[in-house]
Amino acid sequence: MLRIILTSVVVALVLVFALGPFAEAQQPPQPPPTWKQGQPPSMADSPLAPIAQPPAPKAPGEIPVDKINVPPGFKVSLWAHGLNNARVMTWGDKGTLFVSSRVAGNVYAVVDKGATREVKSIAKGLNLPNGVAFKNGTLYIAEVSRITKMVGIEDKLDSPPAMEVVYDILPRDLPHGWKYLAFGPDGKLYFNIGAPCNICIPPDTHANISRVNSDGTGFEYYAHGVRNSVGFDWHPVTKELYFAGHARDWLGEDVPSDIFSHAPKKGLHFGFPFCHQGDILDPDFGKGRTCSEFAAPLIKTGPHVAGNGVQFYTGSMFPAEYQNRAFLAQRGSWNRTQRIGFRLMMVTLRTADVPKYEVFAEGWLQGGQPWGRPVYTQLMKDGSLLISDDYAGAIYRVTYQR
Amino acid sequence: MTAWAPAAADLEAGRRKAEPCKSCHGADGNTTIPGTPSLAGQPVFFTHWQLIKFRDGRRKDPQMSPFATNLSDADMADLAVYYAAQRPLPRPVTTDPAKVAVGRQLAEQHHCVSCHRPGLTGHEQVPRLAGQDLAYLVKLLRGFKAQTAGDLDGTMTTAAQPLSEADIDNLAHYMATLPPAP
Repeated sequence: MLRIILTSVVVALVLVFALGPFAEAQQPPQPPPTWKQGQPPSMADSPLAPIAQPPAPKAPGEIPVDKINVPPGFKVSLWAHGLNNARVMTWGDKGTLFVSSRVAGNVYAVVDKGATREVKSIAKGLNLPNGVAFKNGTLYIAEVSRITKMVGIEDKLDSPPAMEVVYDILPRDLPHGWKYLAFGPDGKLYFNIGAPCNICIPPDTHANISRVNSDGTGFEYYAHGVRNSVGFDWHPVTKELYFAGHARDWLGEDVPSDIFSHAPKKGLHFGFPFCHQGDILDPDFGKGRTCSEFAAPLIKTGPHVAGNGVQFYTGSMFPAEYQNRAFLAQRGSWNRTQRIGFRLMMVTLRTADVPKYEVFAEGWLQGGQPWGRPVYTQLMKDGSLLISDDYAGAIYRVTYQR
Repeated sequence: MTAWAPAAADLEAGRRKAEPCKSCHGADGNTTIPGTPSLAGQPVFFTHWQLIKFRDGRRKDPQMSPFATNLSDADMADLAVYYAAQRPLPRPVTTDPAKVAVGRQLAEQHHCVSCHRPGLTGHEQVPRLAGQDLAYLVKLLRGFKAQTAGDLDGTMTTAAQPLSEADIDNLAHYMATLPPAP
């Protein structure tokens, strides 16, 4: 702890000197917006900035599904459209697909009518409601500082029930405050509490994956040193947790890499803010630390790729070798001159070897410009794979035919 | 670049749909009513997102909210492209040079240009502040500090937390004096 305090003091002093010209101003220097924190002075004029979220979904004619490349035998089609900022997808017991959004503040219900899909808005005006999970007839929704539930929602899609509070004493910080939410094999709700910054010594309450019982009792931290994980899943056989992690910005075009990590037990520390990608000490916060103190990632998934959705394949449609492979949806970079990501990657875990990591679907990036951003996946009952796109406001379906 | 307007967005339809907006926001999106923003020249994404926020109740205003309740997605797209195409005019304003000077320094300290761009002219989902109405700027900054202004992604709410009432006044004086169009 003492070391952390000292590091903070040193960093504070470094910042004060770095921002010297403001020293004569009336107030102490203020932090820049989160996305600009940690930008070196030499890059002050960098044109790199987050990609703006469009306010409206694209019309079907503006969505070039044929540009998405998949391996031979697979086919991609547009399954649903008109879902502004579509993010996490979760199935209701009766076949309704619930879809979250982030900045749009909505939760949608998609009813499959066979040839077409009907999209209903079941909640709006919420505070970055990225997390949705479903169990026993109840939809759970995670906003920044609370988890709520809608009991019996599937029978009331046109007049949704009130949102009842499950747990509402989470931090209110908005930077990295949006959550992924999922039920673990232990029946608990798992979610992230991201670092409230690009790079900083986070409060003890942040930069973790946490869990709570579905009745709001038994809150506890599960994994530490996780800058922001907005996607995770449990291995179908071992039931162990695997998560995607976003790494800090402004350290370089090619470092640090985002991560895909394994958290088989409670209490591991994954390095943030001291060590990135398992082997790079942070130039400010890593002083006096070593990366061997922390759990290393399983895969370095690439710099700035923005890995979101994680899902192990357990369906029956894809070839047998796809069983238990993990799909990683990468929303794509902004803090890199040459854009990277905007694709669906695939991980094959191997007992006696390093995991195999390869592209499954790509093409949302054309000529260096994205027309869509794949962000989460979900399996259909028949084993086909849905991919949500929060930029185009659409959901694609990947099928396989021998 | 990555910005795009919905293909269906129709500027002329937006002009017609803006008829009811005229009485407060002005015939071409330039108004002189204190406390009411000029919309002329505001980025397409910005106006569209604000209309969504008013419709969904994330941003509330007794006069504006009722107008947004029944807007369709197409209405919002049309209105946003219409206002973006109008030329913004300076607002009639008397500013205090001392406050403007302090406000300029505060704008630098608080990194306003990081998102609002040099000259605070805005882009994409980020509004133009330059030459906007002084009373409106004060109202919005107070709202962000109080966490009631309906932030899109939290950036402004976070940025407004350290601001004092005097800071808000000084910043608004500075922003109101900047030329609204390059």
